[in-house]
Amino acid sequence: MREEKNKEMMIRLFRVSKHYGKKSALIDLTVDVAADDFVFVTGPSGAGKSTMIKLLYMGEAISSGSILVDGVNLARVSRKQVPLLRRKFGIIFQDFKLIPTRTVFDNVALVLEVAGVRSREIQTRVMEVLDQVGIADRSGEYPQILSGGEQQRVAVARAIIANPKIIVADEPTGSLDPDSAARIFSLLQTAHAKGAAVIIATHDRELIASHDGRVIRLEDGRIAKSSSEPDMLQ
Amino acid sequence: MMPLPVQRAVRDYRNHKYLHGLCALTIALSVFIVSAFSLFYLNATEVLDAWRKGIRIIAYLSAETTDADRKTLTAATAQLEGVAHVAFVSRDAAFAELRLKLGDQTSLLAGLSDNPLPDALEIRLSDDYHNLEDIDKLADRIRSLEYVDDVEYAQKWLHRFKGVYNLFQITGFVLVAVFFMATLMITANTIRLIMYARRQEIEIMRIVGADDVFIKYPLYIQSVVLGFVGAAAGLACLFLAYILTLANVGSSSVVSMFDIRFIPPALVLGIIVCSMIIGWLGCWFSIRKFLRF
Ligand SMILES: Nc1ncnc2c1ncn2[C@@H]1O[C@H](COP(=O)(O)OP(=O)(O)OP(=O)(O)O)[C@@H](O)[C@H]1O
Ligand SMILES: [Mg+2]
Repeated sequence: MREEKNKEMMIRLFRVSKHYGKKSALIDLTVDVAADDFVFVTGPSGAGKSTMIKLLYMGEAISSGSILVDGVNLARVSRKQVPLLRRKFGIIFQDFKLIPTRTVFDNVALVLEVAGVRSREIQTRVMEVLDQVGIADRSGEYPQILSGGEQQRVAVARAIIANPKIIVADEPTGSLDPDSAARIFSLLQTAHAKGAAVIIATHDRELIASHDGRVIRLEDGRIAKSSSEPDMLQ
Repeated sequence: MMPLPVQRAVRDYRNHKYLHGLCALTIALSVFIVSAFSLFYLNATEVLDAWRKGIRIIAYLSAETTDADRKTLTAATAQLEGVAHVAFVSRDAAFAELRLKLGDQTSLLAGLSDNPLPDALEIRLSDDYHNLEDIDKLADRIRSLEYVDDVEYAQKWLHRFKGVYNLFQITGFVLVAVFFMATLMITANTIRLIMYARRQEIEIMRIVGADDVFIKYPLYIQSVVLGFVGAAAGLACLFLAYILTLANVGSSSVVSMFDIRFIPPALVLGIIVCSMIIGWLGCWFSIRKFLRF
């Protein structure tokens, strides 16, 4: 375990539990993520990785415990303030969550519109980020006709465009070929280098093994192992 | 090039074109029915007014009336409230006019050895005096005057017409109220279906940090525009029907007695505004129920 007392914490989970009826998805989870962390959350299917992510952006309410995001206690965030909290995040979802009735451009632009950015600025910034992820030429198309990897790149573009403080990715490289996965991953690393805390939920042991970063291993809703070195897992 | 929000609204409409179409169609149909009714109503009112304005009361004088009596009577009648003009029609003049009116059928009068018509006063009413009850009262007053044998005016006719007209008026108000509610309910439900169809999109918008206003405001605008489009379509259909009807019956004598007029611009505007309000309210209801804002 690293000594992190002096570091600026972006996210703190303290004794967090989440129950769905009788089913417990997370049990008594305590985790800190620093502002400059690059964290892998791993563990078998059903371990609670996606649940943990949902709790962070208030996609679900916690059952007990407390969560601080960027110094804000989520228990004190009113319904009206939820959008402001969510704008601190760039989220890449397991199922992408792209709006099927909007073009690639509009899907990515949405994040800036929501934040009230001027449309001229939106135009240039969206094209810039689409260029960065390598799908600028498909900006006018609808998500359904894109391949899985291409959709994932749109999702990444949407997550990084507003330069959020925290980037959360749920299986960002799932169902991608190694080249595409590497490309997505390097985009996340770039975002991290620019100052975002990055949290990646993944099964992909190879991905974890071949990159630096802290690893939090969940099993049945509890921390099984946490380390700053990926090889501790092996 | 259209501004981005407009482009997006157009795309939203196109993405759910059947639901949006259904919504606009519902509104258009109601607007058509209500405005068609208003058209009839307004024209009927005008006809009734025209008839009332044309009303004359004929007071038949008794045979023993002298010229002097008649003059006092004329003066007294002219003093009555609502009377605009009193003219004397002598029995001879009346007979001559009858002869003239009969034209070819003058032979009908051949059997008459004598002029059967009495002297009469023809009383015209002032323009602002067309309340039916007032006319009845005035006629009774005149009847009760000395030397007046009887009065005659289109009493039965007017009352019957007024009865129908009143019924028409009441059904009209009920109809408008019912249509307003029905359209509102159907519109609200259709908009809810539209929101249901767009729930994924709305959910995603929220997850990326859209606040309520950001999500609601385009929905409101789109619903109000739907109301406008529906109203415009309904009114356009009515106008088309109106033009076609005029073209078909234009020369017919019944209609040429008076002009059929289209509903006035103020009412057109009112109907359009009403539909837009229906769109707004429909959206408000659905948002409350569907998004729980
Ligand atoms: N909305 C829900 N209602 C009921 N149970 C849920 C709900 N969401 C998650 N769960 C349960 O919580 C547990 C954790 O789910 P979660 O999605 O967090 O797992 P995961 O680690 O992301 O798995 P995977 O790797 O397959 O994505 C699972 O057992 C799941 O069935
Ligand atoms: Mg998951």
